[in-house]
Amino acid sequence: MIKAEPKTILNFLGTHFDTLKDLFDVQTSDNIIRKERLQEIMQERGDEISNQLVDYKIIRKLGDDYEFRDTYYKLFEFILNEFRPLLPETIQKYEQSISTLFKKIREGISKDKLILSQRINDLYNEIKEFNEAVEKNTIRLLNETRELKSNVEKLDYKEKVQKASFWIDYYITPLNNILDINHAESITNKLFDISNYVNVRRLNFDDELIRVQFEKTYTFLVQTNDDLLRQSMLLTNELLPLIERIRTESVILTGWIEFLKMPFKAPLPKVFKVERTYPYSNDMYMNAKEYLEQFAVDETIFVEDPLMTTDKWVFNKDLYKARLMAQLPLDSFFEWCGLTLRSDYEKIETDKFFALTALLFEEGINIELDNENDRQLINTSNMTLRVPKLKIARYGLS
Amino acid sequence: MDYPRYHKEIVSDLMNGKFILASDQKFVSLKDNAPFYEKFFKESFGNALEVKSDYAFLISYDTAEQLSRDICIFFAILCYELDKDGKNFLEEIQYAEFDHEKVDSYFENSAYAELIASNNQLKSSESRRDFMRTLARRNIVERNGDARFTFTQAYKVFVDFAGDFAKGKLSVSNEEEEALLH
Repeated sequence: MIKAEPKTILNFLGTHFDTLKDLFDVQTSDNIIRKERLQEIMQERGDEISNQLVDYKIIRKLGDDYEFRDTYYKLFEFILNEFRPLLPETIQKYEQSISTLFKKIREGISKDKLILSQRINDLYNEIKEFNEAVEKNTIRLLNETRELKSNVEKLDYKEKVQKASFWIDYYITPLNNILDINHAESITNKLFDISNYVNVRRLNFDDELIRVQFEKTYTFLVQTNDDLLRQSMLLTNELLPLIERIRTESVILTGWIEFLKMPFKAPLPKVFKVERTYPYSNDMYMNAKEYLEQFAVDETIFVEDPLMTTDKWVFNKDLYKARLMAQLPLDSFFEWCGLTLRSDYEKIETDKFFALTALLFEEGINIELDNENDRQLINTSNMTLRVPKLKIARYGLS
Repeated sequence: MDYPRYHKEIVSDLMNGKFILASDQKFVSLKDNAPFYEKFFKESFGNALEVKSDYAFLISYDTAEQLSRDICIFFAILCYELDKDGKNFLEEIQYAEFDHEKVDSYFENSAYAELIASNNQLKSSESRRDFMRTLARRNIVERNGDARFTFTQAYKVFVDFAGDFAKGKLSVSNEEEEALLH
């Protein structure tokens, strides 16, 4: 039984993370945490937590020494993104277990449903573990090869080639064989067979619960196959040509590779940041104050309307109609408009001229167009109008 | 008081985060009056001005500038992928013309897939095109039509940064070695 609340343990992990990380590093390099190393780390960190580590079942005693429990070791691997490289032989074992389970599922497809369900579940878990193992290994191999490429340790070319050959021979090529879809015996190929089988069963199996299980496995397999293809692509594009790639070396590339290890913690070139005013920016108070102050005028201001410089002319239709009627008949209506305006105002303003033309639509007059005469020109204050000659007579009398 | 030629454009470009390049006629005026402008930006805005032989830019005191980080991630991945492709990445960045499709293929097949997917500026072909437009506004790239672009001399700021970063790293590892020897 663990002598603490789950939350207490999680808080403990957070509080003592640095010490735990040191212990994790020791176990990764030595495969065990020697009693003396444990004491040294506790003293260096000034953090005496050995009893809690055992009580909370984070580490366990192994004779006089200690080791991380698997759950916690895997947790640290996961959150630090630092994985132990698995030998491809270790990954290969999944081929055996996956094949056996698949064979048993096929053979027992019409037998006991409970066992079938359990087998499908186990198959699902095995495939998941296999996929995770491959992913962890690819991450680790990518990190190793980037280290070699960046060469912060300043290995000479011969040493680099030796190291690269080691990774290629023992890890990269065998892993590639496991994943290579073109290889008849590869696990990836086996997974494709399984996925075809599961695809049919998820549609035609008579028991609904099992059908749902097949469905879930199928979705997962499709995703896994995509993942594995991607991992395989990384191996062929990036890891297998390693020897060729480590031939060139550049300080700049070293810089970039190191930068990409921690892009969110690294310092940056100080490219100018364009200032924008956000409501929450430091300058907002002063900016808002300045803006509002322009409206905060104490004295009352009187705004006067500008004086009208000219009186607006209003067309007195009755007056002009009377004058028109008095002078009928006319030979040319527009000429009369021009003469009338000139006599009243000394010049012909265009808008007044157009206002007068409205008289044409009044009742009691007869309009006749004189086709023989050409159009005549009337010069107003700002334009010249070409107008027809309209004869006007009193309606019914002329 | 007489101001140098193109004064308004120089100040407005620099304050908009643009690099002023040697190919720009403003650059001569800026370079000839470098002491004046250094003092001007220092006194007016508290910013340092960096005038190099072929480009100039204002330095920010904000070290957590997101754009700068995105540009570094972009250059880092591009250089890494160019090298993986067997190219001399430095020559490519200096002289070659890039097209978006090629950049897309580098980014889509990169092993830094997770980092790319988590970066809003770089995660898709469309966002990378927008990002290139941002770089063009800053005079870090020159766009040749819609599909192609070249890097301007401003690339040096980032490449020099990578060099310095590596040297920082290398010297740390030297110190560690020395510490181990003693």
